[in-house]
Amino acid sequence: MSNKTKVAIIAANGGLFDAYKVFNIASAAAASDAEVGIFFTFEGLNLIHKEAHKNLPLPEGKEHFQEGFQKANVPSIEELVEVATEMGVKMIACQMTMDVMSLDKDQFVEGIEVGGAATFIDYAKDANITLSF
Amino acid sequence: MKATKVLDAKGLACPMPIVRTKKAMDELSTGDVLEIHATDKGAKSDLTAWAKSGGHELLDMEEGDVLKFWIKKG
Repeated sequence: MSNKTKVAIIAANGGLFDAYKVFNIASAAAASDAEVGIFFTFEGLNLIHKEAHKNLPLPEGKEHFQEGFQKANVPSIEELVEVATEMGVKMIACQMTMDVMSLDKDQFVEGIEVGGAATFIDYAKDANITLSF
Repeated sequence: MKATKVLDAKGLACPMPIVRTKKAMDELSTGDVLEIHATDKGAKSDLTAWAKSGGHELLDMEEGDVLKFWIKKG
C-alpha cells in the first residue's frame, strides 16, 4: 500500500470540460494502480451531484464541441463516475460548500464521503501527485 | 504471438482503453499475455506507459488502423 503512487485532486469547477479533466486523470491513475482521492468544492460539487453530473454545461461559446464529444466516442461523465467509484477512487464532498449551497449528502452519487479542508490535507500530505482543476 | 486473452477496445476513447485493459489484466495470472486491439491513437503511448507503471512487459506492438499490443502480466 505504501509503495503505491498516491494522487490527490481538487475539483473546484463545474463544467463539462472540468469534469473530463478530473475524471480522466482520476480513472487513468486508478487503472494504473494508484490510490486516488478527489476533493470536490464549490462548483466542483456539480461533478458528483446526482442530477447535475448527467448534464454539465459546456463553456459559453464552446457548445459546438458537443458534436466532437459524440464523434470521438468519449464516455459520458456518468460512466466515468461509475468507473471511478468501481475502481475505489475516494471522493470527498466539501462540507462547507454543501452548507453554503444547502445540499445534503443524499443529493450526491453513492459512495462519496463528506469532509472539510483538513480531511483533504490529511489525505494529500503524503501524495506523490497533487492536481487542481 | 500467442495471447491468453484478447481484449477488443476498438472505438473507445481515453481513458477507457486503459480502464478495460486494467480490468482484463486483473483476471489473468503472472506470465499470461493480453492482446489488446485499440483505435484510440493515444493508446500507443498510454498503454506503453501503463505497462511500465504496472510492472508489466510490452512484448510487441503493431501499428495500423487498429493498434495491437501484446502485454505480459508482471
